[in-house]
Amino acid sequence: MSEEKKKMIGFKCKKCNRINYPKRARCLSCKGTEFEEVGLGEECELLTYTQIYNPPAGYKGDPPLMLGIVQFPNGVRALGQLAIDNPKDLKIGAKLRPVWGMLREVSGKEVFGFKFELAKKQTPKLK
Amino acid sequence: MKDVVIIGCGMTKFARPLPGSLMDIASEASLKAIEDAGVGDRDFDALYFANMCSGEFAHQTAAATALVDELGLIPAPTHRIENGPAGGATAIREAFAGIASGMYDLVLVTGGEKMSTVPGAVVTDLISTMLHHEAEYAHGATLPGFAGMLTRLYIERYGLTENQLAAVAVKNHENGSKNPYAQLSHKRCTIEGVKDSVMIADPIRMYHCCPVSDGGASVVVCSAEKARELGVKKPLIKIAGLGQATDTHTLQEREDPAVLKSVQLASRQAFKMAGLKAKDIDAAEVHDAFEILEIVESEDAGFFPKGEGGKAAEEGKTALDGEIAINPSGGLKARGHALGATGLAQVVELVWQLRGEAGERQVKGAKNAFALNFGGFGDNSVITVLRRV
Repeated sequence: MSEEKKKMIGFKCKKCNRINYPKRARCLSCKGTEFEEVGLGEECELLTYTQIYNPPAGYKGDPPLMLGIVQFPNGVRALGQLAIDNPKDLKIGAKLRPVWGMLREVSGKEVFGFKFELAKKQTPKLK
Repeated sequence: MKDVVIIGCGMTKFARPLPGSLMDIASEASLKAIEDAGVGDRDFDALYFANMCSGEFAHQTAAATALVDELGLIPAPTHRIENGPAGGATAIREAFAGIASGMYDLVLVTGGEKMSTVPGAVVTDLISTMLHHEAEYAHGATLPGFAGMLTRLYIERYGLTENQLAAVAVKNHENGSKNPYAQLSHKRCTIEGVKDSVMIADPIRMYHCCPVSDGGASVVVCSAEKARELGVKKPLIKIAGLGQATDTHTLQEREDPAVLKSVQLASRQAFKMAGLKAKDIDAAEVHDAFEILEIVESEDAGFFPKGEGGKAAEEGKTALDGEIAINPSGGLKARGHALGATGLAQVVELVWQLRGEAGERQVKGAKNAFALNFGGFGDNSVITVLRRV
């Protein structure tokens, strides 16, 4: 399960230190063109979220599709699907962590990327 | 720079579906504008055609070349302007630049879109391709999803209530019911009806979203000197101010994702150019693809302080007889949103308002007007300020 170990990375500008995410040809702050890959960390916080009841073509899960924007301690924000079982756990400020997985199909091809799950997963109670 | 005025306008009804092809829709709107301007026998110096998805929806490319032929305007130069759903306002901006520079005198600007040819899920997917491909679209993000996330953030920040958000939809449907060109002219709604409508992307419901539309709209743009030479009878509507600004392509990278900075920057430019202030505006057409956008745009354009747009709508300050009439046409919500045609439909409505030709939905004594057209979700905002001469 080597994919479990994939780390979310940002692109730190070698000129001004701004961490760009996603990657771009030139830094948004200083137009620098050289970047260093840096890990974004294992914990982030949910800034806002939604549940999409009409997911786009190519999304294979059952609706609703949970989607949110998270913020890492270094200030970098990212959008991603929320791999959260119980909608009651959806809260602004919830502690999450990135996890690699299949996102959707685009033009018939599977697209992979980072989703976000609860940092502390609840252990289901035995019945 | 030469003064630039609008001397004619026209549009089709917005509907889903509207009979006929993309060319039928675009030519109907164009011919109405040409007739309204009283320049039926004239050649044009150029034609701009605003359209977002002719290839995807109508299986037609080089659509501007087809339209110039359809209208018998050969050999006028032409090209299609694609700027997401802001193609309409962008095309007006291009016509302005061409005329103000002295390169052209008489330009036809038409927008058209035929969206009803493909199923709803495909429309949603195609429109979602406006978003950042790797960082947003690939994750399944949609425009309603963005509206849902913005609404939640805005509620958290400013305490917007369900009733305030619903009030925007109720007002726009009320205005749309007085607009024979509106797609939803037959549908009024109530606060309770909005709050009970089906959930689309929580907390966004069906009645917080614009419909999918077919439609066309067109204006005849002209130098002020040429307009005098032509002896135009209707009041001249000056393009007094233009503004356009971009912001980060992803929503997440904005300085503050609850603020539409591109709207702030573009509004300042447009007001400065026009020599006007937000309080001088009598009627505004804003890009309410989702009702939360009307609230946030009305603040970032400077009509209301930050956090008070929802309260203003609830108190009737944005109604036809309010402090500033916002979306007298019914807006994208009730008139409809035919992508490339939308920015032009906004301007057509405002020309009617400034001429005093808007019938039941007339804003009394309107002299200055403001249009805001979005080319994405806050990452490309185009503003046109109009003034009755």
